[in-house]
This record gives sequence, structure tokens and C-alpha cells, in this order.
Amino acid sequence: MSAAAELVIQDLRKVFFPRTVNEVMALKDVSLRVAPGDFITIIGSNGSGKSTLLNTIAGTLPATSGTLILDGQDITKLSEHRRAKFIGRVFQDPRAGTAPSMSIQENMAMAYLRGRRRGLGPGVPRRIKSRMRERLAELDMGLEDRLTSQVNKLSGGQRQAMSLLMATVAEPRMLLLDEHTAALDPKVAATIMELTGKIVNDSHMTTMMVTHNMEIALQWGNRLIMMHAGRIILDLAKEQKALLTVPDLVNKFHEASGETLAIDSMLLE
Amino acid sequence: MVQTVLLSALQQGLLYGFMVLGVYLTFRVLDFPDLTVDGSLALGGAVTAIIITSGGSPWLATVAGTASGLAAGYATGLLHLLLKSGDSNFTNYGPKLLAGILLMTSLYTVNLRVMHGSNIPLLRKETVFDQLSHWFGKSMTGWWVVLVLVVLMLLVKFVLDWFLHTEVGLAMQATGDNEQMLRSLGVNTNVVRVLALGLANALVALSGSLVAQFQGFADVGMGIGTIVAGLAGVIIGEVLFGVRSVRWVLFSVIGGSIVYRLLIAVSLRLGIAPTDLKLFTAVLVVVALALPTVRKKVIRT
Ligand SMILES: Nc1ncnc2c1ncn2[C@@H]1O[C@H](COP(=O)(O)OP(=O)(O)O)[C@@H](O)[C@H]1O
Ligand SMILES: [Mg+2]
Repeated sequence: MSAAAELVIQDLRKVFFPRTVNEVMALKDVSLRVAPGDFITIIGSNGSGKSTLLNTIAGTLPATSGTLILDGQDITKLSEHRRAKFIGRVFQDPRAGTAPSMSIQENMAMAYLRGRRRGLGPGVPRRIKSRMRERLAELDMGLEDRLTSQVNKLSGGQRQAMSLLMATVAEPRMLLLDEHTAALDPKVAATIMELTGKIVNDSHMTTMMVTHNMEIALQWGNRLIMMHAGRIILDLAKEQKALLTVPDLVNKFHEASGETLAIDSMLLE
Repeated sequence: MVQTVLLSALQQGLLYGFMVLGVYLTFRVLDFPDLTVDGSLALGGAVTAIIITSGGSPWLATVAGTASGLAAGYATGLLHLLLKSGDSNFTNYGPKLLAGILLMTSLYTVNLRVMHGSNIPLLRKETVFDQLSHWFGKSMTGWWVVLVLVVLMLLVKFVLDWFLHTEVGLAMQATGDNEQMLRSLGVNTNVVRVLALGLANALVALSGSLVAQFQGFADVGMGIGTIVAGLAGVIIGEVLFGVRSVRWVLFSVIGGSIVYRLLIAVSLRLGIAPTDLKLFTAVLVVVALALPTVRKKVIRT
């Protein structure tokens, strides 16, 4: 079992195209303490900065200012691949999490080596194949019998299930999920969400999950954050969250943002 | 006559086959259309020739020629990093093409400097082929050359098979396949790309070294058109022999290299002027590129 990470975000700011007419401040000095083992669901309208927040935490995007402290270590200046030792990710596009022209076992083997030095040992060592099969069998998709199939032969749901497994097999201390069920049809999305819940509960890794679905945001996790225009405008603990319904959440949004935006349809879907 | 055409195609196809493997590595495995190869092929020939004419061992000269390609590939990789810095778009080919063009152009000057001129004859010098002749007591011409080259090619091919399936090798494959994923698994894809470009250009330079020793001279212009010839080999190989796995496709592109040289030899016989060959090759690439789509269309209807 991996140790769950504590993440302290201080005055995190992200500006795109600074000092140009296209300047966008996507994160406006966001501060947040993510406790070890937290499973935070994140909602907010389009363009509110949810993806930018996760991208800055993961190091895909450098922060303009502010600091990120992971388990006491300042990771603000650490490169993306170094942070990946501690942070696993799944993206919205099922194609993003796997190498399409490589085989299932090659993809899995690369995931087992997360954050480790790669040498001249066999890329798919025999000793990890049985572990790999076991984990794939848990997906209940028959992938354990197709180890040498190319990943691009798989369906979107299968690829996303594999992405989830690949993000977590090496037990990083933190998991970042960015609308990772949004591109799937509802039934498959539900399967992937169940799988996510199981993996997070089994490993207790600290998790931040962006979703566009308010019901999912209420149903899963122990904490809910709402973002608007680059800020966190609502931060609900487990007990508060448990009492809320989707319409309550929409009202909260209006109160907190002081705006009635045309996002209600999105929020209520 | 058929036999001489076939023989020459096999010799040329194998001599340039290492280069085609290098082009396959960059274009297909790494998704990096690397134009350095025109320069690094000639560099391999130039370094080899200067060492041999200075009295060095031809084996040392071959190794040094190959290593010079390694260095050229590293240079392209590092220059690419400089050119793309701050750009997070992984599929941006601009910096890749520019890095290759800049290296290719710089290497032209480097090659002139290395050779102290534009040409070095090796006619009465001891090459690796001459040494092999002494060892085996067979004159290294005709089919004997083919045999030696086949053995060397198989050796390189199997080492490459092994390497591409090591931990680092899988990372090389994944860098071209899904770079963002590989980074989020903790791999410094920048380093991997530089290493792979070095390896690819080392193979290209090995071809240059062997070609110079086989034809008996190194010339600053010997690399011109390498990129197109390499692509022709890769594409012809893929179309004719298929791409079912990495191990298989390495055979395919070696086959492609031989078929390409066969097409060249035949077209020369049929009266195409040597000066028209480059255009001929370009057209060949376009036709071969069109083929798979043609094939798919045929299958669909
Ligand atoms: N790579 C980028 N370059 C420029 N602007 C960006 C980039 N990514 C996001 N933005 C801008 O930052 C703001 C927040 O975007 P994002 O974080 O993607 O929102 P969300 O994920 O909440 O929909 C938007 O205005 C968006 O246009
Ligand atoms: Mg987003």
C-alpha cells in the first residue's frame, strides 16, 4: 500500500500569454490543503481552471507564481517526469493514457516502472506477467488473455480502464483524474467510475477528480470543491456534502459566484 | 545480365540497409522526420576515409565513422530541445525539421573540413573488405560481399530487436507513440529522444562508412538524397512485407532497401539517366505512399 500524500497549494497563479492581449489568468492565487487520503471531487463551469489546476500540480504546466508542497517537499520547480514518481494521472481522452501501437503487456510493464531508472533489462520481464494478469483480470474485460494485443485494438472503455490501472499499479502517492469518464458512453462511464472508486479505496491514495457530473461529485469522495473563474469558490467537507442534493449545489454555485450563468443545464445533466 | 542487376541491388540494398534502419527508427519509431541523415551518411564516409588514408586500421575507421554519426544524432537531439523549449505541443514537427536541416547544413562544412577537400579516394588503401579477403582467402567481390553484408546486417538487426525490447527500448517506442503518457509515467522523454537520434544516425553513418570503403572513395556529396532513399526503403518495405510487429518490420525495411535498389538498377538498365534518379526516387516514394490508401479503398468496396 502506498503512503497517501499531503499536498499544500499556496497562492498558485497561472497566467497564459502574459503581457499580451490574449492574457488569461487561469488560476488566481489558489490556496488549498489536500490532506493525506483525501478524495476530492472538483466541479466548475467550462474554463474555470480545473484542468489548469491539475496540470500545474502535475508539472505539465509551470506555475506563474505560488508554491506546491508535496509531503513537505517543494515540488514547484520539479519537472513533470520527476513529479510523476509521486503522481499518477488519467486524462479525458482514452487515447491519452496508453501507447496505441504497443501491446497491452508492454504498456503495463512501462507503468510498473513509474519513476524508476530504465536500463537494459527486458522491457517485459517474465516475473511481472502474472501480477499483470491478476490486475488486468480485476477489470473483468478479458484483457488478461490478450497481453500481446495492440492497445489500439481496444475499445475506449477498455483503454480507459487500462489507463487507470497504469496510473496506479506502481502506487503513486497521489492520483489526478481529469474528466476521465466524460468521453465514454454512460454505461461504460459508470463501470470506469466504479473501478476508480475501488482502486482509490483499496490504495487510499490522495485523489483529485474533476468531473462535469454533479451527481458523481456528490456521490464519490470525502470532499467537494467548486471552481469558478480561476478561484475555489466552495469547499465542502464530507458531512456537508452528504446532506446536499444536486439542486442545492446549483444554488450554492449561484450564491458563491454571484452569477447566474448558463451552466445550469450543464450542472444538472 | 539478370544476375548482375540482382547482385548489385543486393550489395547496394544491404550497404544502405543500415541507413534505412536508421531512417525507420526516426520516422516511424520516434515520429521524428530527421533530415540529419544526408549529412551523417557523408560524415560516416568522411571520417572513415580520413582515418584509413592516415594509416589507421579500417576497423577502427569503421567504428569511428559510426561513432561520428552517433555524435551528429545527439547534436540534432540537443538542438531540437533548444528549438522547442517552452513549446508543450508534442506533435509539432517544425522544431524537428529545423533541427535536422540545421545539422545537415552544418555537416556539409564539417565534412569538407574532415576530408580537407570534397573527395578522398581509397583505391589503393586497405579497407575492411580487403582485410576480409585476406582472412578468408576469397576476393571480396560479388556474392562474397553479399554474404558478409548479410551476416553483419543480421547481427545489427538482432541487436536492434533486443534493444528495442529492453526497458529503454520500450521507452523509445513509446516516445514516438505517446510522449505525454510516457512523461506522466516518469520518463524524461527529452533524454530518450536524444539517445534514439544518436542510435539512428550511427546506423546511417555505418552505411556511409561501408559505402565509402566499398566504392573506393568518400565524397562530400555522397549523402545527398539519403533521406528520400531511406524513406523509399521504409515505405516500400512496409507496403510489400507488412508491419505486424517491430521485429518483423525491421526485416521488412531491409527488404524494402533491397527492392528499392533493384528498382533503381532496373530503371538504369531501361535507360533512365543517372541524373534523373533523384526525381525518379521522389516519384517512387509518392506512388508507394499512395499505395496503402489505394489498397484500403480496394478492400472497402
Ligand atoms: N494551454 C493553454 N494555453 C492557453 N490558455 C489556456 C490553456 N489551457 C487553458 N487555458 C485557458 O485557461 C482557462 C482555464 O482553462 P481550463 O483549466 O482548461 O478550464 P476547465 O478545465 O475548468 O474547463 C481558460 O480560459 C482556457 O482558455
Ligand atoms: Mg478541463
